[in-house]
Amino acid sequence: MKPIIKADSLGKKYHLGRRETVAPTLREALKDSLKSAAQLIRGRNRSDPIVWALDDVSFEVQPGEVVGIIGRNGAGKSTLLRILARITRPTRGLADLYGRTGSLLGVGTGFHPDLTGRENIYLNGAILGMNKQEITRKFDEIVAFAQVEGFLDTPAKRYSSGMYLRLGFAIAAHLEPDILLLDEVLTIADASFQKKCLQKIKDASRDGTTVLFVSHNLTSVKQVCDRAIHIHSGQLYDDGAPEAVISNYLKSISH
Amino acid sequence: MSTSLNDANAVISTALPRSRSNQLPAEPVTRIRPSRFWESLDFAELWTQREVLYFLMWRDLKVRYKQTIIGAAWVIDGVPYPIFAYTALLLWTFVSNAVLSSSYSLVTNAQIITRVYFSRLLIPAAAVGVRLVDLLIATLVLIGLMIYFQVPITWNVLMFPVFVAEIAALTLAVGLICAALNVRYRDVGTMLPILLQVWMFLSPVVYSSSLIPERLRVVYFLNPLAGIIDGARASLFNLPFFWAHIAISALVTFPMLVFSIHLFRRMESSFADDV
Repeated sequence: MKPIIKADSLGKKYHLGRRETVAPTLREALKDSLKSAAQLIRGRNRSDPIVWALDDVSFEVQPGEVVGIIGRNGAGKSTLLRILARITRPTRGLADLYGRTGSLLGVGTGFHPDLTGRENIYLNGAILGMNKQEITRKFDEIVAFAQVEGFLDTPAKRYSSGMYLRLGFAIAAHLEPDILLLDEVLTIADASFQKKCLQKIKDASRDGTTVLFVSHNLTSVKQVCDRAIHIHSGQLYDDGAPEAVISNYLKSISH
Repeated sequence: MSTSLNDANAVISTALPRSRSNQLPAEPVTRIRPSRFWESLDFAELWTQREVLYFLMWRDLKVRYKQTIIGAAWVIDGVPYPIFAYTALLLWTFVSNAVLSSSYSLVTNAQIITRVYFSRLLIPAAAVGVRLVDLLIATLVLIGLMIYFQVPITWNVLMFPVFVAEIAALTLAVGLICAALNVRYRDVGTMLPILLQVWMFLSPVVYSSSLIPERLRVVYFLNPLAGIIDGARASLFNLPFFWAHIAISALVTFPMLVFSIHLFRRMESSFADDV
């Protein structure tokens, strides 16, 4: 079958920056640019120490698959998701996505504390890629899922962090994208809401949504994923059935 | 390493929602590539994301109006000025506020930039849009003042919206350049209020451009704002248009807008890494 996501030797290089300066200034860049004109736009010293946050990662994902991405902190999982979500560009390699992408890389992105729950649903929905009619159509469903019925006209700044999270996830869950990218969003949810979210992910996949799911919660990866990818030091280390990948991962940690 | 171990699990349910077809598109919906020197502007993408622009503007306007009891009254801070000066002041207030808020917009919306993708151009554009709404409200006040002072309104007034559009284009151009630079070089934001003040004194805001000696005018009108403000005044007060100055301002403004979009697109790919 034709894959819905095709990633081909993706690499992302970060400059660690010169240690003497805290933040770059235009004055400095202009001074530097006397040496090289391109540097004003490129803005970095070529001799900076570098790190490859992601290095030569290739994989394919079939439509409807739920793929868990695991690995230690700083392994490059989020960088991979951020590249697929188009937040940052790869330094090398390419990726093709054959469908509408929705991403939830942080909960309540763009929520404005002074706007009410109702207003934030529209704002957040639009930012995530829904149009106004879509949001209106799914409004009641979102509210019910997030369990915030009584707080729709309350400014979001009075919400508890749990309510914030529930509303944020509920909006993203009702995006109905072809590809859903989730980064570590459920860690602060309580057990019952986590369960509800995992069920929602399963339902979405049954409806044909492809899900990429970064998590440190190996139990939930085992529960919802058809496949797991283990990223280690920016490289694709293991790829296969969740049980096998997870047990290898646990072994690699204990060493 | 096989990448399709789970084909068996990837079977799509037959009960698909109507929005989703079984068939993947032949061409990728999204192509992710390393950034190149020339990034062209994807108008189709901007069009599909137009509602984001609307909601970003709506957010800022809503929050602003929510916290003020006197509603729109804050827009009119220059009423005691003679109406002639008020016209320029109104346009200058727009330029100054719009350049400042669009320049800071990417940094203030850093949380969105690092977590969601949509064309980043929409963020400074929304900031300019919000100020444009302020300008339109202030213009209503100006019209009220003109009626009160019995300033005759002529056909020239039809040119006023043209100058407003041009000043918006100019402001967007300056705002895009400053916004992109400010993400990487935070001293841009610090210098900006001072630079804006210099710009104000180089433009006919608090004085009339007729005070500029003849031999300096060629240079003076290279500042596109000079031609626009003079033109806007001429359109409202039935003064003669100086077409040469108006043409120069357009010839500076529009290439500048193209350049600023290019610069912005070029730097956009690393915003999330720098902000």
